[in-house]
Amino acid sequence: MDMLLMGLCMTFIGLAVTAMAFVAATRPQSSTPAVQAELPAATVAPARFFSDSVAPPIPVQPLVPIEVLLYQIENHVRLEQAAAESFVAFPTQALLHRKTTSSFVN
Amino acid sequence: MAYELLNGLSPSEVDQVLALGTRVTVPSGGSLFRLGDPADRLFLTERGRIRLTLPMLVRGREEDILIEEKLPGETVGWSALVPPYRFTLSATTPLETEVIALTREALCAFCDSSPAVGYKIGMNLAILVGQRLQLVQTMWLREMQRTIELKAAGVGEHR
Repeated sequence: MDMLLMGLCMTFIGLAVTAMAFVAATRPQSSTPAVQAELPAATVAPARFFSDSVAPPIPVQPLVPIEVLLYQIENHVRLEQAAAESFVAFPTQALLHRKTTSSFVN
Repeated sequence: MAYELLNGLSPSEVDQVLALGTRVTVPSGGSLFRLGDPADRLFLTERGRIRLTLPMLVRGREEDILIEEKLPGETVGWSALVPPYRFTLSATTPLETEVIALTREALCAFCDSSPAVGYKIGMNLAILVGQRLQLVQTMWLREMQRTIELKAAGVGEHR
């Protein structure tokens, strides 16, 4: 009786191992790419080594009419020329880098 | 009328130089010369105003951008006395303007015959050229400084 039970157990164990090997051998191959496809989604965030700050988006400024822009450029040139004349008349570092009220650069 | 190119000349010398020239009236919105034109005459501004401009691309369109304005008594077109004798700016008149045009040939011949007057005119010309150089140099340096500050602030850089 003991020998019969032991043989039965061995048969079940062998059957179970065979079944697991079969399932493993016949598993569909598409499951692996599915896992890989998810990987890029996990790496969307860029690596940041020294800073967690993100560059702010550059605000899109509405285009001014070309006539206004040309006026701003002309006014800028006049102000820059006046600033340059001040420097040439009395050269100092402060006058060289004196800011103007030009709306073109401010 | 005091002409900067004729500074230091006696009234009779001024008259002699002006007699070499031709009075030209340019209507409002007219052009005295264009960038790249052969420069064989310089101009003494008698009345009105002259805009000196350079072409610049603004939003893909070529526009004449003001570089300098000349008023009565001031000199325009000294490229006529400096090789390669080509205008390096364009000159237009926003209002009716009268100038005295002096040809290089006539002016140089007069200076050859009157070296003392030629020396004074040469010195005045050196002052004009020197002032332009100092102004442009200063304006260029200020623009460079602005560019450096923008670069340091990271404006316009992509990461």
